[in-house]
Amino acid sequence: MPPKKKGGGKGKASQASKPPTATTEEKATSKDNATADKPPTKEKAKANDSAIGPALPPSSTTATTDPPPATSTTLPETQTILERTRARFTAARPYEAHLIFGPQQQQQSGPLPGKEPGLGGLGDLQPQERSAWLATRIAARIARRPALSATATTVGSATAELARVACGGGAKTIKEVWRIVNEGSVPLRAAGEKQFLGSATGPVSRRIVRWEGLSSQAKGPSAGAGAGKQVPSSSRESQTIAAAEARWERRVRLTCLSAESRCFRAQRDRERRGVCDDRTGERVVVTEQEVVEEKRRRLEIAALRREMSGQGAGSAARGVGKIASDPEWDDVVPVVLEEPEGALASIAYPADYAEAMSYLRAVMKANEHSERCLWLTEYIIKMNASHYTVWLYRAAIIFALKKSIADEIEWLNKIALANLKNYQIWHHRHLLVENHFPSISSDPSAIATFAASERQFLERILAEDTKNYHVWSYRSYLVNKLGLFSDPDELASIERMIDDDVRNNSAWSHRFFLVFSHPDRATPGVAATEPDPKVPPEIVDREVAYAQSKIRLAPQNQSPWNYLRGVLVKGGRKLSEVEGFTEEFVKGLGKGEEEEDVKSTHALDLLAEIYAEQGRKEEADLSLQRLGQKWDRIRFGYWEWRRRCLGMGAAAA
Amino acid sequence: MADEPTLDIDRHLRYWTMCLRSPLPYHYLSSDGNRMALAYFMVNAVAILTPPGSGRDSPIPASDRRSLRQWVLSLQQPGGGFAGSPTLVLPTDSDGQTVDSSLANLPATLFALQLLALLADDGDEGAAAAFDGVDRARTLRWLRRLQRPDGSFGEALKQLPGRGWFVGGGYDMRYCYIAAAVRWILRGDVKEGEPGWVEDFDTDALARYILSSQTYDGGFAGSSQEEPHAGYAYCAIGALALLDRPINGNPQSSGTLVANIRNRRGLIHWLASRQFVYLDPPESQDDDRSDDDDDEENFRLPQRLSDLSLTENLRHVACNGRTNKVADTCYTWWVGAALANLGLGLGSEQGDGVSDGVAPDLLLDRAGARRFLLERMAHRIGGFSKHPGGPPDVYHACFGLTALAVLGASCLA
Repeated sequence: MPPKKKGGGKGKASQASKPPTATTEEKATSKDNATADKPPTKEKAKANDSAIGPALPPSSTTATTDPPPATSTTLPETQTILERTRARFTAARPYEAHLIFGPQQQQQSGPLPGKEPGLGGLGDLQPQERSAWLATRIAARIARRPALSATATTVGSATAELARVACGGGAKTIKEVWRIVNEGSVPLRAAGEKQFLGSATGPVSRRIVRWEGLSSQAKGPSAGAGAGKQVPSSSRESQTIAAAEARWERRVRLTCLSAESRCFRAQRDRERRGVCDDRTGERVVVTEQEVVEEKRRRLEIAALRREMSGQGAGSAARGVGKIASDPEWDDVVPVVLEEPEGALASIAYPADYAEAMSYLRAVMKANEHSERCLWLTEYIIKMNASHYTVWLYRAAIIFALKKSIADEIEWLNKIALANLKNYQIWHHRHLLVENHFPSISSDPSAIATFAASERQFLERILAEDTKNYHVWSYRSYLVNKLGLFSDPDELASIERMIDDDVRNNSAWSHRFFLVFSHPDRATPGVAATEPDPKVPPEIVDREVAYAQSKIRLAPQNQSPWNYLRGVLVKGGRKLSEVEGFTEEFVKGLGKGEEEEDVKSTHALDLLAEIYAEQGRKEEADLSLQRLGQKWDRIRFGYWEWRRRCLGMGAAAA
Repeated sequence: MADEPTLDIDRHLRYWTMCLRSPLPYHYLSSDGNRMALAYFMVNAVAILTPPGSGRDSPIPASDRRSLRQWVLSLQQPGGGFAGSPTLVLPTDSDGQTVDSSLANLPATLFALQLLALLADDGDEGAAAAFDGVDRARTLRWLRRLQRPDGSFGEALKQLPGRGWFVGGGYDMRYCYIAAAVRWILRGDVKEGEPGWVEDFDTDALARYILSSQTYDGGFAGSSQEEPHAGYAYCAIGALALLDRPINGNPQSSGTLVANIRNRRGLIHWLASRQFVYLDPPESQDDDRSDDDDDEENFRLPQRLSDLSLTENLRHVACNGRTNKVADTCYTWWVGAALANLGLGLGSEQGDGVSDGVAPDLLLDRAGARRFLLERMAHRIGGFSKHPGGPPDVYHACFGLTALAVLGASCLA
């Protein structure tokens, strides 16, 4: 088709297309390997029909044993390609058919002669028939041969010469052959064996074996269809004539579409090279509309190929994946991954993923930063969000194209919610904020707005996964970056989370950071585990009271106990300050099983520290002993070690 | 004891053989970026299960090692370091065009080096040639560029248009540990001025960064402003121990940096607190164990504290990674190994009584932890799962074995 004919018209034209000429058909056949090995085409089949025409069956006197004649004018009604071919074969070669199908079945047009082809072989034939069969074969061979000898003056002399060679006999034998042929009106121009029996040209017996295999395969009505990469020939032959014709239609359609697609690619290439149209003198331009049509066309091509090859999913491997069928990517040669021997931990990559990665390698190699690459990273991230290289590449594209970082953060929200356990997403967010912040740093209201929208999102994702480590890490980064230590909403947000789940240690940790890393209250360089004189006493008091109130809710919850201890150390206070409070949870220590009651092992643990701090070693040791002996036996080794640290345990042991 | 469970080594070997011989199912797709890590888990697990003299055949025969090493080396990047997966290795140009530097990845580099060591040929000669083919100088130079001004490490380098070089990967104690490990493996005893000498990264800055990341409750986090995490505690202690270890091949750690941990007693307290008594969920709840992170299911609290004093309830000792979190196979390893490493530094300590008496690696209830892994986490097809009753995966299957090894299972390497 001429390229100047634009796509708009082409789509319609091909939709109403008629069967193409033989040339186009040939092209399609040779192009598409999967369909190269095909049953006879229509034209050829017709030629065969006409070949059968003049061939008349032998009129025999021994009709009972003779292969029943198949008439050329009224072929039995057939359902499948195989049956039709068989009927034609039988009509043209009654003796061969007899040998292959057996005497009874050759006339039937039902299913294949499953288990009982003419097992008798030549022995089934009457002597007369046998010689007729032999004569036919020899004569047919002679008749098909062109005149070989340059010296032969007539066709007749040449064939006679050949016949002599063919049957190894003298002129008398030849005469005999022709006599039999003429008497029996044996058909000479019959359907080629190859078309029916494939390329096998071995003896009859071998063919019979072939038939057996064939028929057993074809038993199921749709055996083999859609099962493998290629439809086995048996199922093709057992398909109905209507189905075969539908398939034919699809092939025609596919051929048309492929031709149009080639035109599109050529046009696209001209556009890229800046070629001018010969007639108009203007530069070739591919319109948006044409691209849309080409996309649709390739999807249809892919669908047709899948249908015809019986292939379901996994089509990307054949180059008709989502990206390969998008004209946008025409110019990219994908870099396909080949796993060598010795490849470890290979993964059964889904075809779409493998295709996407092969295109990614190509564009990363070319260091391309474009809209389509941005789309590709999104496409891949939605399949696998944990390839950090892909994220870094995406960031590079965002900056190269000067995309809006705010938009990217918005987009990232959706991805994060869909991939709660992924942490590369949070590294990406970190990077984005790092680069976004300079643009808002001088505008307090912009910072406040951004902080509020980030908090809203963080609360949402933490509602899904309250202890997500990477979300909390990002949250503390954000507080630092945006200076949110004094933001009352941040502290209130954390209090709400602790109210929801008083055991949420992530929230407790964030609270400690929020309160004690506040730049107004923290001396730079002082570690989290060290006292800081800059912390105001009222803050220490407030936090001690807060922890105590939460401990009362659930005494065996280690989070607020750890918090309480951390606050006291940070504030430079003595642990003894909370002695009274701690003793509330421990009653009658060492006063016997009846009286001793411990509501919190963490209280008893802290009490041991408090007593040690006060030099009350005996009481400290008793606390540790009771922990190891009864209240927290799982850590027996630890409590013993603590006793040794006191200088007590060794004596006891 | 008669009822002590044992590790069904053959079953576990079958699991690993299956992982090695056939491609991993697509569930592992999210680990595609870390295939080097998956490979390490497999090879390491096999090495643990088939130590020399065990009489067990390794599913990785010596004749296969060469092609496996070649695969590892095929992921080495021209600018130094290794990529994590062949899906993102770009074809190298003959014209020497620079390949994207972000393909090299710090964790993948350590796993690659460890794989090469595990796959080395037998004997001293094989061990000496383990890192043949590794571009030592380039990798060390690349490693140096991954360090941030605050001393911490990122995992990958990328040039961002208009923004210059960027050290990607967040603030993660794992990278600090890995950097220390790669340095220790590759630096060797090369003196300044000698060929092959590469300027070291700032080890003091790294140590400072790590030491400042201890949190108020004694654990370690990505920074002191985050929540402590057992994996990070292992990495912090491990990194300090590696920085302590002289690089001239002497395995004896000086122990000085580990001893510099500000609140050692707090750290031991925090690590010891990671173990808890694992109580089976009531039968009726077995069916809806769909959300594997449901704390109620896995981190069950006893009705009364005194219930815990009953002997049978102490049977299973699990570890979590953070306060009030659920049990997970790998934390038995992270906690156990962190305590074991901590022992290195404690030996030199005098004064506050930490050094004498119970060794820190006995602070974990080994028998209970072993029982927990073998009776609750081991899967019937082999391997270990993350949570009780879950399917196995190579990460947890490997760390289940390393945990058992550190807990003193005699049958393992």
